[in-house]
Amino acid sequence: MNLSLSPLVELLFFPGGLVLLASGLVYEFVDRKLVARFQNRIGPRWFQPLADVIKLLAKEEVIPAGVVKGLFIFLPIVALTSILTAALYVPMFGLKPAFSFPGDLVVTVYLLSLMTLCIGLAGANTEDRFSLVGATRALTQMFSYEAPFLLALLGPAIALGTWNIGQINSAAGNNLWFIIAQPFGFIAAVIGLMGKLELPPFDAPEAETEIVAGALTEYSGRGLALFRIGRDVELVIGLTLIASFYLGGLANPLDFLWKTLILLLVTAALQSLFARLRIDQTVGLWWRIGSIMVLLQLLAVVVGRLIAPLIPFLSSGG
Amino acid sequence: MGAEKKPEKFVVSIGPQHPALKEPGHFEFAVEGEIVTSATARLGFVHRGMEKGTESRTWVQNLYLMERVCGICSAVHAMAYAQGVEKLAKVEVPPRARAIRQLIAELERIHSHLLWLGVAAHEGGFDTLFMLSWRDRETVMDLLEAITGNRVNYSANVLGGVKIDIDEVKSAAILKGMDFLEERTRHYMKVVTEDETFLGRTRKIGTMTLEQALRLGSVGPTGRASGVPYDVRVDAPYAAYQDFPVNIVTDTAGDLEARFVVRIKELYESYRVIRELVDHMPAGELTTRIPRRIQEGEVVSRVEAPRGELFYFLKSNGTDMPERIKVRTPSLCNWGSILATAVGHRLADMPMILAGIDPCFSCNDRMILVKRGNDQTVWTWEDLRRYGIEYYK
Repeated sequence: MNLSLSPLVELLFFPGGLVLLASGLVYEFVDRKLVARFQNRIGPRWFQPLADVIKLLAKEEVIPAGVVKGLFIFLPIVALTSILTAALYVPMFGLKPAFSFPGDLVVTVYLLSLMTLCIGLAGANTEDRFSLVGATRALTQMFSYEAPFLLALLGPAIALGTWNIGQINSAAGNNLWFIIAQPFGFIAAVIGLMGKLELPPFDAPEAETEIVAGALTEYSGRGLALFRIGRDVELVIGLTLIASFYLGGLANPLDFLWKTLILLLVTAALQSLFARLRIDQTVGLWWRIGSIMVLLQLLAVVVGRLIAPLIPFLSSGG
Repeated sequence: MGAEKKPEKFVVSIGPQHPALKEPGHFEFAVEGEIVTSATARLGFVHRGMEKGTESRTWVQNLYLMERVCGICSAVHAMAYAQGVEKLAKVEVPPRARAIRQLIAELERIHSHLLWLGVAAHEGGFDTLFMLSWRDRETVMDLLEAITGNRVNYSANVLGGVKIDIDEVKSAAILKGMDFLEERTRHYMKVVTEDETFLGRTRKIGTMTLEQALRLGSVGPTGRASGVPYDVRVDAPYAAYQDFPVNIVTDTAGDLEARFVVRIKELYESYRVIRELVDHMPAGELTTRIPRRIQEGEVVSRVEAPRGELFYFLKSNGTDMPERIKVRTPSLCNWGSILATAVGHRLADMPMILAGIDPCFSCNDRMILVKRGNDQTVWTWEDLRRYGIEYYK
């Protein structure tokens, strides 16, 4: 689709800005509702995520003693900003990315990680025991899933010979879907996204029965609301990325809708299937199984690219 | 860096209001990274002065007070108390009343164990099991409500018998409920023994050896999971357990998984014995007369609560009020096992180890005053009240 909107409108309303925030809240609702139904609960009403955010924004923000005040206020803003910036390079809603340049995949993945970094810093900034433990866990978890997640996204990129998200998106639609060509990469990407978003069973960094809310224990009001919106938008961006890479690209908004919702259904099912992994189990899982799986996949892709010119029917996919 | 050279320990202090359970307790875990190096617990945040309270109430009034010692195992408290008073008054309870008492106690055990299963799963971050087991628990809650009229404090016991009866309709409902629950429980057994992520949180976690269990005096399913062959229902049968016996369930592993397995197998036993009770319910009276004033004497009454041995000591001075009532609840016996098994585990395992004994905070809080030398002061109710206000300030 080639709509020409003024950059300001693109940034503030569509596809960035407000619509992006709204879609984050909608996807949070769908996720919560699905998990609730899997657990035989009724689940929240459709406006609950919005109501939560409004309530949090209206509440007083308590700045605890012993924190670096500027950092405490600044971190949620940086987190949300980086996530919103990442959205500009991703084919949100099946539209062409607002901005794009060769190699924007790396920038996007980096911007998405900034969220976790901010959460880790926010936890380390306070003196609260729960926050400190949560921050340690959040950063530990980041170091375990980050590499496999990036490698999983690189699989299609290398196979297609471009590191530009927009080009990968349009090329993925013309090829065999990468979920079939690179199943391990798909699994690693979906599970990596769950780790990124600290969804169960990878919710050790915010395990409510152990460390209350983890790194964000001391946050209330505006800061917490910004972090929450950031995470919701990150969910949408992550789903979009995986759908455009592995599910044959996103050609139009309808494509976007059904592919991301199916992915969301899968993650919701995974969320309700397992018990929470301890942080050492998470790290073990990623480095012992996840990384090796993805590395083998990558090796196959590279080898496939080398021998593809020799065998004509392999030239698509890798 | 040696451990002794590190005076600055990183202590994670949890509670009294804490994330793990919905009852107040204070815990301090010294951690190195994620590994717990020492654990301490402080209780006493929900002391209610019930034992003292019994001394200014009549024997009959106390029945209703004792039923409220614990919100989950209320019927066994009333039963232990009633049995003690009946023993003091030398009164025989009719067989039908004893069978109904056992029926209520076993239904209560089912609801308590299913509740625990959900709570323990929640501690391990397995919320699906939590939600589903609590949904199924509603079956037994509804049964108890249909039989007694209450969901929590059933108030089925009276001194000298019971005040509820089981008819054909209720029997059929109970049998139907047991069939449903048995099927579900077999499913949960499969989940807790086969689910890989869940086993990762329970297998070889919080292991307590038989020797440790005996030394720490663990009771109930916690002790039986470590192989302590002790169950009041078997070793000193009360109510109708003589005629409708249960089999003792033990395990040797002593870890959290064994505690799950033991409690779930106890559920099977409860389903079986409830079916037998309903099918062969003895006919006859529900109550027998009991005097208002209980003759002088002392008695010990023990029952097997869902969490373990519940101990009542009753002393009468011949009036219509007790001289002294001492209650020792099973949670108190099991606290030591947490502190002993916590060291060396990860902080992430603490909630599950804590929940593993199925602790009940409010029913085990006591105040003890150690008399030094020839101190003859007797604390009055007013003294205690004032002390309590000062203590919690």
